[in-house]
This record gives sequence, structure tokens and C-alpha cells, in this order.
Amino acid sequence: MQLEPQTLLLQVLREHLQLTGTHMGCDTAQCGACTVLVNGQAVKSCNVLAVQVQGAAVTTIEGLAAADGALHPLQEAFSACHGLQCGFCTPGMIMSAAGLLASKPQPTDDEIVHALEGNLCRCTGYVNIVKAVKQAADSMAAKEARA
Amino acid sequence: MNAKNPPVDTLRFGSGHTVRRIEDPALITGRGSFTDDLVREGQLHLAFARSPYGHARIRSIDSQPALDIPGVVAVYTGAELFAAGVQPLPGPPPILKRPDGSPAASAARRALAHEVVRYVGEAVAAVVATSAAVAQQGAEALWVDYDELSSVTDAKLAMAPGAPVLCAAAPDNIVAEARSGNAVATDAAFASAALVVGLDLSNQRLAPSAMEPRVVLGEIEPGTQDRLLITLSSQMPSAVRDGIATLLPGMKPEQVRVKVGDVGGGFGMKTGLYPEDLVVAWAVHQLKRPVKWCGQRIEEFTASVHGRDQQSNAEMALDAAGKVLALRIRTIANVGAYGTPTGCMIPLMVGPWVTTSVYDIQTVSLHITAVMTNRTPTGAYRGAGRPEAIYITERLFDAAARRLKLDPAELRRRNLIQPAQMPYKNPMGQVYDVGQFERMLDQALVLGDWAGYAQRQAASKARGKVRGRSVTTFLEWTGGNALAEQVTVRVCAEGFIELTSATMAMGQGIQTSYAQLAVDVFGVPMDRIRILQGDTDRANGFGSAGSRSLFTGGGALHVASERTVAHGKDLASEVLEAAASDIEYRAGEFRVVGTDLKVGLFDLAGRQPKGHIVVSGDATAGAPSWPNAAHVCEVELDTETGAVEVVAYASVNDIGRVVSPQIVEGQVEGGAVQGMGQALCEEVVYDDQGQLLTASFMDYALPHADIFRGFKTVFDTSVPCTTNVLGVKGVGELGTIGATPGVVNAIGDALIAAGVAPQRAEAVQMPMTALKLWAALQA
Repeated sequence: MQLEPQTLLLQVLREHLQLTGTHMGCDTAQCGACTVLVNGQAVKSCNVLAVQVQGAAVTTIEGLAAADGALHPLQEAFSACHGLQCGFCTPGMIMSAAGLLASKPQPTDDEIVHALEGNLCRCTGYVNIVKAVKQAADSMAAKEARA
Repeated sequence: MNAKNPPVDTLRFGSGHTVRRIEDPALITGRGSFTDDLVREGQLHLAFARSPYGHARIRSIDSQPALDIPGVVAVYTGAELFAAGVQPLPGPPPILKRPDGSPAASAARRALAHEVVRYVGEAVAAVVATSAAVAQQGAEALWVDYDELSSVTDAKLAMAPGAPVLCAAAPDNIVAEARSGNAVATDAAFASAALVVGLDLSNQRLAPSAMEPRVVLGEIEPGTQDRLLITLSSQMPSAVRDGIATLLPGMKPEQVRVKVGDVGGGFGMKTGLYPEDLVVAWAVHQLKRPVKWCGQRIEEFTASVHGRDQQSNAEMALDAAGKVLALRIRTIANVGAYGTPTGCMIPLMVGPWVTTSVYDIQTVSLHITAVMTNRTPTGAYRGAGRPEAIYITERLFDAAARRLKLDPAELRRRNLIQPAQMPYKNPMGQVYDVGQFERMLDQALVLGDWAGYAQRQAASKARGKVRGRSVTTFLEWTGGNALAEQVTVRVCAEGFIELTSATMAMGQGIQTSYAQLAVDVFGVPMDRIRILQGDTDRANGFGSAGSRSLFTGGGALHVASERTVAHGKDLASEVLEAAASDIEYRAGEFRVVGTDLKVGLFDLAGRQPKGHIVVSGDATAGAPSWPNAAHVCEVELDTETGAVEVVAYASVNDIGRVVSPQIVEGQVEGGAVQGMGQALCEEVVYDDQGQLLTASFMDYALPHADIFRGFKTVFDTSVPCTTNVLGVKGVGELGTIGATPGVVNAIGDALIAAGVAPQRAEAVQMPMTALKLWAALQA
């Protein structure tokens, strides 16, 4: 892919790859709607130049479900717990949470809240988002235990 | 068994059950359809040049520097749109009057400012280019020669002689004012009162802050010569269509189609027409090419409507037993640079309708003035007039209880309207159909363990904190005074039922609630129901605002669905060769009573000439609904730092019949966090020159995930609404209305418990930041 040097990762995803699940919600890297995983770490794609992630593995909300379409436990839990209303912040929330669970599979509520401090939601009041992350962690742990 | 008519236990999916939202699958997988996700072949991008001044005369605009940039296709200015005959946006409604009886006055709010700019961020020119970056570059390159004028951002100063004038027809900057109630009787009640309490209260300006910035995509509808197709994020597609058709010269409603996809939060600020919508429509009309404007967050802060912004002096008169005799309230509403319809009606009309709330108070004197200043225009924001009014009343109750040395719950109890008084007409002539307010209070006191407070207070003290508490009893008005809705049902041979409504989904889960109501009537699985919204070629109406969608649109959906079944019986009677009166319908099948003769709903549709059955139904609610609640809140104050934390929040809510339990819980709790945001951290701040100091999420403090967890939320469904067929009441704004006074009154209680003098504690204004609380604690 040939890109202008100033192209942001967010622009590559939305405009060049038509992966529109990653959203832009602010100009100042505060809302977190654009969060994706770069090599497994949650990163705000509006604040990263595309060239900075050359060769890295980037995962967006579109790539979170299994190849057979089975939802990721976080996606499942966000719906089950009513962790989304308008859904605009949701991809960023889920990717931030995915980054957290990758490094800390059983976070406490406080750790979840801390991990989501860079993601804004105006609809849910966050209560059900925290519940959803907790539930996803539990269901991933249960799956692990079965495996 | 026909595959198109599977047997199903629909009971689990009908109303009253928690189901997975039908909105969710797309949204959790990144397959949502927000306006900015759409890209059209050959799409151009539009950017606005906006006023850097709070108040200035535009001497001239030189577009050439922008036009010289490669990729810039066109530049539009206010003067050009004015010359072309583009009309201003709607101003204050004529029903409103200025103090001298003359019609409400506001300068014309234009798509692009002409001659004068009146707030920072007002659009003065638009640049269309082949990329968003070039459009932005063009907007920065064009030269606007401004002659700066004096600004005024404080409403009281704006009313004073010699203040800068925003509109020649209003030399005092007053758009309109309203005097309600009976001033003479009120003064008499105050003269005879055993106790009078008074408070100066600020209901600060807020930025609604939907997470999705506004986006408008315009194009010529494929297959037509010049029909405009506007796709945008809006709560009111029909109002946008009508606005564009009315304001653009030579345009008719049938020449405009408005579509809305996913809406990333509305909260009232996406109601009605915005200047930017009109400019994009104009650009498409001129260029005959797709044009997209994508609002940046800073534009959301400067150019989307703000909410609240009222300063009040409020007084309550009581007798010795704690019976409220009268309320006397003087409010000045800062509606910003232009009086918009909602920006004026919210303080002048809607607020007064609920000021006496759940209390039996018949004597009031309300004097409210809407004033123009060099701030962004105001409009609807969640609650829209009710939070401001209820905040005043609830603050007065706590102040009075304190002076009477009464439990604040007891003082409220002594004043609640009793069920036997229903229907109850308040002094503004608003009629509450039903309500069991004391019952809500009783339940909330139990849920919030009001009686066990001393123990928690001691526990807080042991942790070095001071605890405070409050109880808030209140109601709200819903419906936007637009009580009629229509729904069209289309039963398709392919095996689904499509329901079309002009109300809009915007995160409140209305599609799921509608689907559940349809399951109630049709008895088919939920995945057979499809809700179609956001297309003015399919449905037109008021849209979604004022918590009206379920009790108006849901009612129409119910009526249309039942009518479809009745019509289906007629059609089935021909197929089954039986009298329609002998046919029963159940779970997707029409059957001749007592026989095996039957035909499936979708089969029946397939037998119709066009392969579907189409039936429309409408319903008009008889009156607004009056959701009400009692909320108990507790906070913990750190007296060394002034930091305060909400530690408990229990609410009992009467929203009538509950269709979707998990959704309404989310509405109340998410709404309550917005109310806490006003109480604790949010505030739009301007300097004296009209510069907006809070134009990013760095400076405007939205609640984060750490704000509060641990809601206890209960619904009492024993008091269905009597003004609509479903028995439902609105729910979207209840939490926001209750939480703000709830948190503030609890903080006041904590400050006083920490030794702050009551009058000093009561003088602290929202948002109650640690700094303000710490300062109050330093006396």
C-alpha cells in the first residue's frame, strides 16, 4: 500500500481499507472510539501514523470474531449486558477491553475502569460496560478451564 | 409444518421480557451504518470557515485564496446564499412575546452568516474540495475581513442599558419572556408564610456531546435529474427534509429525500435543521455531485446547540407545618446568539409545566426571560427544561427542610399530590392522568435504606470521609406535544414483517421495543420483525424527541398490527372459505375455529397480488405522559481535598408498563450518569469576549468510567398511563432529571455535616468540583 507520510492509521483503516467499524469521535485523542489493537495492545488509531505500524499486526473490531463468525466473548457480553446503546463508542470500548484482557485475564472492576479511562461513552453511564468486560473475562476463563 | 411459519414460544420475546437488542449484532461487529461510513463515487468534501470572534461585522470575504488551491471546487459565502434567496432558519415561535407585547425577536440565523457574526464558531463560508484536507486548507486560506464588535456573554449584562445589541428589534437583547401563575396571590402567600427560603441557583450551560459528531452527506438521488438525497445523523428526518425544502429557493418537499442510518447518540441536540445541513444541500444543488461534511469535535462544541444555561432566584413560602404555600421564581435563560424554536420554548414553556412537580402547589409566580448573548444558540438537551425546573424545586425543598429541622423525605411527603386528587391539574394547566407519588417515595426509602443511614454515615466517618444524602421526588412531561404517529405494516411472502415508522432509533433501543410489541400481536419470532426508519420516502412525522417514541409510535404500531391481523382475517376468509368472524389468529396462523383449516400469515401474504399485505395504522395519545420517580443518593466527601464521590444511588421509577426491562434500566442509569455529569463536572465556559474555553474533551469534563457503579434501579409498573393504548410512559429523560438535584442535595448535606454553614453550602453552584467544595470547606 502506497500512502502519504502523514496518513493516520485511522485513515488507512476507514478510507483505504473501508473498515468503518473503527470510529472517529474527537480531534484530541480523548474519546477512544478509534481504539484498535497493535500487536495486541490497545492503541488510539487517530494518534498513530500509518508508517509507525509498518509490519505490525493490527486488529480492528471487524477482526475480533472468529473466522467462522462466532462472536468474541467481549462482543457477546456487550450485547448480553446491554453494554451499548447507540453503539458509536462500542468498537473502541471492546478493543480497549480486549487489550486489557490480553494482559490481565481476570481484572477487578477497578482495573477495568482504569483501563477504560481513555474511552468515552455518553449513553450507558459505563455501568453495563464494566459488567460486560467482567462477564467476558469470566467466560474466557471458563473456556480456558474447559480446554 | 410450513417452514415459513415455524412454531414458536413467543412469550419469551414479547413485551415485558429482556431480549437481545436487534440493534446490537451490527454495532458490536463494526458493521453499523453511521453516515461517515458511507462513501459515494466522486464525493466532494465540505469544510466551514467559522467565526473566531464572538461578535463582529463581516466587511468582506475574499474567496480567491481558497479557490487558488488545487482541488478546491467551490466556495460559498453568506452574501452569496443571501443573494440567491436562501432563507434563514426558523426563529422563536410567534406565540412567544417580548416584555412590551411585541413578537419574539431574534436576528436571522442563516446557513452562513451574513454581514454580522454573533458567536465563535458561527459558519461564515463553506469550501468544497476533492478531499477533506484540501477543503480544510481552503477554509483556512480564504480571507474574511472582520470588524470586531463588543461581545456580551453574560445574560444579565446583556439586558443592561448600553450592552452590545445582537438584534435591532431587541435593544435589550430579550428574545421573549413569560410570566406565569398568579403574582398577586403568590405575594400574598409569601406575606403570610411562616417560613420563606430563597436560593440563587445556576443551571450551567452544557454540551450534549453525542459521541458521533454530526455528519451530512448530500447527493443527487441516483436515477433523478435533480432530486436531493440527504443522509445525516438526525432524530428528525422529516423536519430536515421540510426545512431544506422550505428554505432553499424553488425547492419543494417532494424534491428532497432525507435518509438516516445509525445515529451515534442524539440527546435532543440532533433534532431539527442545522445550518450545516442547509449548506450541504445547497452545495449539492449547485454542483450536482455528492458532497460530505463531517463535523470535527471542536465544531460540535462551538456549533451544535448547547443545553440549560439558566440563572434563577427561587423562593418557596411554607406554613409552620411544612405545607408549601407558593413558589416565586425569577429565571434568566441565556439562549445564545439566536433564539431557536426549542431554545426559547424550553425555558419559557416546558420548564414551567413541571415546576410544581409531584407536589400539591397551586400558587406560583414564574417570571422567565430568554436573553441573547454571544454564545452558541441553545436547543434541546436531555430533559430540556425539566431538569432545570426540577432542580430548582428540589433544591428549595432541601433548604426548607433544613430550616424546619424536618427529614427532607418527610417534608416532601407532606406536600405530595395524593392518588385521590388524580387527574390533577397543576397551576400551569397541565393535567396529570395518574400517579402514586407517595408510593414511589416509600419504596425508594426502603430500596435506599433511608432508615439505616446512621450506620453508613458512621462507616464513612471511620474512613475519614463525611457522608451526605438526598431524596428526590419528581415527575416529568413527555411527548413534545406531538402526540400522533403512524406505522405501516408490510407482511411479506418472504417470511418477514416490516414495520415503518417516522420515529428514529438513536441508541435508545426503540427498534427492539417495537419488535417486542409486534411479537405481542403477531406471535412470530423476533427475527421475523424488521423495523424500517429514517427514510422520508417511506414515513414522515415528528421524529424522536421528548421521550415520545414508545408512547406515540408504539401505540401506532400496536394499532397497525392489530388492524393487520383483522385485515388478514378478511383475506383468510376467502382462502379458507369461511366467515371472517369464524377465523382466529394465533402465532402466525389463521385458523377456522374448531377445525384444521388454516393458512399461515406469510403464505397468505404470498397469495396476494403483490406478494404482501400492507396496512397502516395511526394512534394519537390523548395527552402527555407523566413519568415520575423517587431517587435516593448518597455521597462521600473528602474534607481535606474537597473530592466527592457518589457512593449509592437507588431509584424507584414509574414509567407505566415496561416493554423492555433491560433497556429501560439502561435508560435510567445512563441518563442518571448524564445528570451526575452536570452536578459534578460538566460546564461550558466562555470568556468575556465570547471565546469558548471548553472546546474539546480536554477542557469539557464528560464523566468517565470511574464516575459511579452500583445503581439500584426498580420499576413500579402498577400505575399504567391512561392516555395511550399501551399504558406506557416516556423513560429517556427521567434519570437525567433526577440525578442532578439528587447529587447536589446530597453534597449540600455532606458540606453541612462537615460543619459548613447552610447558606454557604447552599451557595455552591454546579458543577461541584473538588476546588469549589474545598473552598467552601475553608470558612
